[in-house]
Amino acid sequence: MKFSYNWLQSFFKKKLPKPGELAELLTMHSFEVEGIEKKGKDWVLDIDVLSNRGHDCLSHIGICREISAITGLKFTRPNFAESKNCGGQEPQTKDFIKIEVKDKNLCSRYTARVIADVKVGVSPKWIQERLIVCGLRPINNIVDAANYVMLEIGQPLHAFDFDKVLGKKIIVRRAKKGEKIVSLDDEKYDLDESILIIADNKDPLAIAGIKGGKKAEITQSTKTIVLESANFESKTIRLARQKLGLQTDASLRFEHQPDPNLTLSAINRVAELIQEITGGKIAKEVADFYPKKNIPKRIKLELDYVERLLGIKISKKDIISILKSLGLNVKEKKQVLEIEVPTFRQDISIQEDLIEEIGRIYGYEKISAILPLSSLIPPKRNLQLFWEDICKNILKELGFSEVYNYSFVSGKQLSTFHFPPSNSVKIENPVSVKQEYLRPSLIFNLLKNAKENSKNFKEIRIFELGKIFKKGKEKKMLAGAATNEFYELKGVIDSLLNGLGISNIWYDEYKPTPEDSKIAIWHPNKCAEIKIDNSEIGFLGEIHPKIVESLGIKNRVVVFDIDFEKLTRFSSEEHEYQPISFHPAAVRDLAILVPLDVKVVEILNKINIAGGKLVRDVDLFDIYEGEELPDGKKNLAFHIIYQSEEKTLPTKEIDKLHQEIINVLEQDPEWEVRK
Amino acid sequence: MSSCSEIKKQALKKVKGAKNLKELDRVYKRYLGGKGEVFLVLKNLKDFSENKRKEIGKEINLVKKDIEEAIKEKQEALKEIAINEIIEKDKLDITIPGKKIKKGHLHPITLTLRKIQEIFQNMGFSIIEGPEVETEWYNFDALNIPKDHPARDAWDTFWLQGNEKLLLRTHTSPVQIRYMEKNQPPFRIIVPGRVFRHEATDASHEINFYHLEGLMIDKQISMANFKAVMEHFLKSFFGKKIKMRLRPSFFPFTEPSFEIDISCVACGGKGCSVCKKTGWLETMGAGMVHPNVLKAGGLNPKDWQGFAFGMGVDRLIMMKHKINDIRLFYNNDLRFLKQF
Repeated sequence: MKFSYNWLQSFFKKKLPKPGELAELLTMHSFEVEGIEKKGKDWVLDIDVLSNRGHDCLSHIGICREISAITGLKFTRPNFAESKNCGGQEPQTKDFIKIEVKDKNLCSRYTARVIADVKVGVSPKWIQERLIVCGLRPINNIVDAANYVMLEIGQPLHAFDFDKVLGKKIIVRRAKKGEKIVSLDDEKYDLDESILIIADNKDPLAIAGIKGGKKAEITQSTKTIVLESANFESKTIRLARQKLGLQTDASLRFEHQPDPNLTLSAINRVAELIQEITGGKIAKEVADFYPKKNIPKRIKLELDYVERLLGIKISKKDIISILKSLGLNVKEKKQVLEIEVPTFRQDISIQEDLIEEIGRIYGYEKISAILPLSSLIPPKRNLQLFWEDICKNILKELGFSEVYNYSFVSGKQLSTFHFPPSNSVKIENPVSVKQEYLRPSLIFNLLKNAKENSKNFKEIRIFELGKIFKKGKEKKMLAGAATNEFYELKGVIDSLLNGLGISNIWYDEYKPTPEDSKIAIWHPNKCAEIKIDNSEIGFLGEIHPKIVESLGIKNRVVVFDIDFEKLTRFSSEEHEYQPISFHPAAVRDLAILVPLDVKVVEILNKINIAGGKLVRDVDLFDIYEGEELPDGKKNLAFHIIYQSEEKTLPTKEIDKLHQEIINVLEQDPEWEVRK
Repeated sequence: MSSCSEIKKQALKKVKGAKNLKELDRVYKRYLGGKGEVFLVLKNLKDFSENKRKEIGKEINLVKKDIEEAIKEKQEALKEIAINEIIEKDKLDITIPGKKIKKGHLHPITLTLRKIQEIFQNMGFSIIEGPEVETEWYNFDALNIPKDHPARDAWDTFWLQGNEKLLLRTHTSPVQIRYMEKNQPPFRIIVPGRVFRHEATDASHEINFYHLEGLMIDKQISMANFKAVMEHFLKSFFGKKIKMRLRPSFFPFTEPSFEIDISCVACGGKGCSVCKKTGWLETMGAGMVHPNVLKAGGLNPKDWQGFAFGMGVDRLIMMKHKINDIRLFYNNDLRFLKQF
């Protein structure tokens, strides 16, 4: 809210600190001052009043109270409630108008006053100037006076043209479905039961606590006015404001639930002001509906708790003086203070609230840093994060860069990847259609990244570790995409898993389960399930060419998608050293011609079984399919490494074993070892 | 047959004249080889009297030694010349760019979280995580933010469709409650994680971003303790002593509540465009845990007290690396990511 420096000054006899200094003091002890601006002879302070103090500090008086507590300068709060100047004259307000509140829970107080013989016109310059400094537009002397008092005290006020109120009655009630109102600024609003209105016998006159209506508007010809100073339930005002999309200076204050005791001071203050500037006659007495009085709270404050929570000893004397400077009443006991909190501080209800008041006025900067004394409990190790770090490091070493994508995807992305929306989590209030669902897979956005980066990079290797969402559950996945060959990515997965201490990895044909058989994400002939022992932990492969095409990706992209939580269950830090043999290894090459559909693993298995312990390793180093070969055949070439842990293998023994392997391989008439 | 001294003279002359190792080898063969001149002298010794034999034998052995030494010396010199010639030819242009090694990069958020976590772990804080989809209870009610309270407006929330009323957590604070429910104080935890806000995106706002929450509960944990922990964190994180100030604030889940500003890392507090001329940057919200929050977590506020804080990780990285647009973190342009 914007505050006038001169206005604030007017409540103090002594001079206030200069605007800049005052702003600094307020920032450090009360609320952040977001801007200072010179306007004519005045200064505008833009103060970000905290949301728990909207009920008292969206007003000059409220800020004055803060300034007084911080600076120690004396401030006398004007007592408008018992103002002598508005005693008024006959007839009484109740002779003009009756108040009827249908639900006291929605309107805890309704105070009204009538002023006759007003002359509506422009308001005096000094009022106009202050309104303008505070960012309000002057309208006429009645409305301006009401706004002036709102800025001064914090109580929103409204004025109706008495002659336009049908039946001399003001009714506070819920609107009926289908009722409409035209506001002062000529906007039409449809009302319903959730919205509280002020009405006469027939029509809505105002949206309670938010905006006045056209019907009982103050105009040049208005003679008699009804002033309203009421207290509405903040929740109701808030919901109506949201529903109507209509935020006003009044609604802002009512949403912070001002003190109901404020209505009387405000109405007397405004009546007096109007009388002063328009020469009207104030009717005697107020009409006041106030069934349940708001009374001060009492709180016990333990002095040692103040020290324990703030970590600094503040003397009892200082504590008492701070609390008093804020307008609280203090009764001293030995180790305890009994505090009576006036109703204008609705936010204070427990000891901790009082300690905050003491701390901030005393000054947080005076609290010196003290390292905590605590038992030496070592932090618990977070295994998930531990493995996360290792995975990320390995992938980075393998040339993969990490991405962080949005957790959201569009309905279009879902359909591109054949994900049924019924299995996905939909956002009730998405920010855009592009972000309507929670991602059920990391792959969607990874492919988007791959596509976008292909403008600048030929080779792309990216990965992401993050949560995916299905109905009722979320889980961490590790996925990556690369513009490489399938076998390269398979090598990446091997390295990754080996790095996690997992060795029993194998790759199985992709067998869709009945429920996901429709999910045709993967290229049917270029994908595999990644398995550890008998558990499937993820997939690896090319994305279905149809999807790749519809995404507009030109390069070949291979993808892996691993259930990270499953993966960590298999990960292990244990690693046993394998003794290095002292005896030399011998390498023999073997080239074999086999039918095209024979899998490498079949050959490897035969070599390993036939060779036994002495075959330490078998390396596939070449695959060849070509015209020179017999039809339907391919040539595979292996290095076989022979080594014994006990002795140096004699050439004869190696040759014999090698020949045995060849014999076993050639048992299949279709297989031919090339010599 | 030449005399010993004649052999020596000639040999040394030839050694001296050898231009390369090959020539030197020829000299060696000619004098010291199997059929070389020294050998011939030795071979003919038998034709002399015993005394003469001794004399010549002694002399020729000395000659042999001298030639050997001379050859060895020459050999070293020639080798050096040969190596120098190779070195001379081995020229390169050191301004030609080095070969690109293909390596990956970790996301700046990962790198920063690691750094923050390390600092707090060294102070005994455990790292805890929690779900991104939350209930209203954990995200709001348990944190002393009642339904229809204006305070809820401060957290623009994404709601999920479905029977159960679920939402995307707007902060990592729900994990405070989840942790308190299952653990008995004293404890110190930090909670890093992704959070969500329903708002229009711009250079400083994103719909998902990262938070890091801290919570320390014990018998007598005070605001003064918070200051000390935070000063240590800021110093370790920015690598230099950073001025900080605590400003009153309001959060429903802490009382007292305060905002932590640090002196602007771009201008050192003088005032610049980064800090909007104030010299200060807002880095986090904090406070002493509200008794209602302790109760919601199953703890008795009479027995336990402590502080909590929450910081925006993205903002911290932006300050540290002078990044001016938060959206860069989620656009995943490799030209950006490869800088980290």
